Amino acid sequence: MRAALAVTGASLRRVGRDRRALFFLVVLPIVVIVIVGATVRGFSTVRVGVVDLGAGRAGRSLTVAMQRAGNLDVRRYPSLDAATTAVARGEVSTAVVLPRGMSSAIRSGRAVTVAVMADRANSTQQAAAAAVASVVAEEGALVQAASFSSSQGLGSYEQDLARATTLQRRAAQVGVVTRIVDSNAQTLPQGFGYSAPTMLVLFVFLNAVASGAVIVETRRMGLYERMAAAPVRQSAIVVGETFAYFTVALGQALLIVLVGAMVFGVSWGDPLAASVLVVLWALVAAGAGVLSGTLFRTPEQAGAIGPPVGIVLGMLGGCMWPLSIVSGFMRQVGHLTPQAWAVDGWTDLMSRNGTLVSVGPELAVLAGFAAGLILLSTVRLRRVLA
Amino acid sequence: MNVRAPPADPEGLRAAATGHVLSCTGLTKSFGRRRAVDLVGLHVDAGQIYGLLGPNGAGKTTTIKMVCGLLDPDEGTVAVAGRDIRDLAVRALIGYVPQEVALYPDLTARENLAFLGRLYRLRGRVLGERVDEVLEVTGLSDRARERVEAFSGGMRRRLNIAAGLLHHPRLLVLDEPTVGVDPQSRHAILERVRSLGAGGMAVLYTTHYMEEADRVCDRVGILDHGRLIAEGTKRELVARLGEKDRIDLVASGDMEALAAACRSVPDVATAAAVDGRVNVVAGDGRRVLPALLEAAERSGAAVHSVEVVEADLESVFLHLTGTALRE
Repeated sequence: MRAALAVTGASLRRVGRDRRALFFLVVLPIVVIVIVGATVRGFSTVRVGVVDLGAGRAGRSLTVAMQRAGNLDVRRYPSLDAATTAVARGEVSTAVVLPRGMSSAIRSGRAVTVAVMADRANSTQQAAAAAVASVVAEEGALVQAASFSSSQGLGSYEQDLARATTLQRRAAQVGVVTRIVDSNAQTLPQGFGYSAPTMLVLFVFLNAVASGAVIVETRRMGLYERMAAAPVRQSAIVVGETFAYFTVALGQALLIVLVGAMVFGVSWGDPLAASVLVVLWALVAAGAGVLSGTLFRTPEQAGAIGPPVGIVLGMLGGCMWPLSIVSGFMRQVGHLTPQAWAVDGWTDLMSRNGTLVSVGPELAVLAGFAAGLILLSTVRLRRVLA
Repeated sequence: MNVRAPPADPEGLRAAATGHVLSCTGLTKSFGRRRAVDLVGLHVDAGQIYGLLGPNGAGKTTTIKMVCGLLDPDEGTVAVAGRDIRDLAVRALIGYVPQEVALYPDLTARENLAFLGRLYRLRGRVLGERVDEVLEVTGLSDRARERVEAFSGGMRRRLNIAAGLLHHPRLLVLDEPTVGVDPQSRHAILERVRSLGAGGMAVLYTTHYMEEADRVCDRVGILDHGRLIAEGTKRELVARLGEKDRIDLVASGDMEALAAACRSVPDVATAAAVDGRVNVVAGDGRRVLPALLEAAERSGAAVHSVEVVEADLESVFLHLTGTALRE
């Protein structure tokens, strides 16, 4: 046991000294989580076109309110035709038509109709229309307040509108968050809730496979032979090396979990189930890492072939895009990789409030992958040592 | 590798009976159809430096790996201090210095030694003392905290040897420890090996440098094509040649043709071309020299210089194998 720990200690010390390894272990995953998280967050906003036909001040005010709404990406169009074409082409989910004379109509107390154009085939048109309606209603409330105030002789319409706007900003806001509660979500949450778990699965595996080069290098330097000449059983060397890979993988996974939770506000779901999932994934990565170190003949081969293999497995396994959007056949192929089961596990934990019991099947499959890979890598490493 | 428990000899009675620290009998190892080591038997006593000489591919490293328990022999036995090498604990009696510098380049000298010391079950204060000791012995104390990757080739070699001495082995096995080393470091390594032998350690030393074997080894075994073709002290081996000399012809041209021409001269035992010269073993060097020069002229080679030397290990090797050792 002490010999195994000595092997683990030496390997971990080397990882700690390797700046390139630390970059790939620590910096790169966080950077990619930020980029992918920010990109995927963009999917939760809807593009809305605006055509101002001469609506005046009220129209400009409504446009600014839509731009500030956060979930609307507002694009202006010069004419009704241009906006209609944009809707038809799917460039925007809806187009809002601000009518001529809107400001004067409001000031004189007449009803104003704001038309929202949408393509029935567009899947986001309802969400877009609802978001626009919400902004229009907010603006409408301000207009009504200003109209009432000015009709009571408290000031001019413009003064009262400015006062109402100021008061609205000071008033406590009631936020509304939409959550799917039908337990049928097939994908991870948007934003960092998507990027953090998928990048955890991708990078922990990728780094382990790439660092198989270390085993190749150790073998070529004759260090395993030197270790084997000591009064140490082969099994101690194998266990020590595998434990080093496991420790690095687990450390990287925990770092991503912590940074995800503390910096990006990611909710990882049930702590116990998440912990088991992290540990099992680190075991899968450790097995794959040691195995790669026994398959390649040169460190360069391991460095050149390992990462692409890890990326392809990540693609197939749903680390780059949800498997729910691919064909049934590709989904089946994807589930030949451990990545798919890990992502499924995180989806259950993070999108469906899963528990240790509900992610049991995913955990069982991952345990099988971990056992198989570690067994295979042990056999191969023993052969290398012999 | 299967490690089977050997017959118990905890007191080292057989070693005491034979006096050998290392005892190999009938060692044989084949790789596929190729027999790398063929019925090799040798013994090394305490305080003795045994040189295993042979060209590349002669079977030196395979023999050493069997001695250290890294390879199972197809036939034969290895015993250290009378105990079978298959007993894992016996390996603590051996200090193995491989041909490659088997150290982590990104760890410091001290970290490397501490790691390897732990594999030999050294702990705590004892480990620290041993690390200091071998660093001192190999003259690396002031570089202990530097990474090995910053060391020169000679320093790495010295540290490689230091790692084999950490646990105070009874048998030190050195596999070509001076390959690629500058003359100064080579001198330091050879002096260290001599002092270890003088201190009572049994040393098994492989090399293909004749002058190294000449300088440090008490006893020499000549290995060729996996077979131990001669064994003895340097004096015993040279005596086998009888009254023979070695003539070295430094020449240019077709060296193989020159060697063949030399072999045709009467009283020439053997001749071999190596590295721009032809080494000839003959009965009386000075008497045969004119005929050799005539033969050289007939072969078309241009002889630049001639040296007649007394028979040495190189002459023995040339005489026994018909080839010269290439450095």
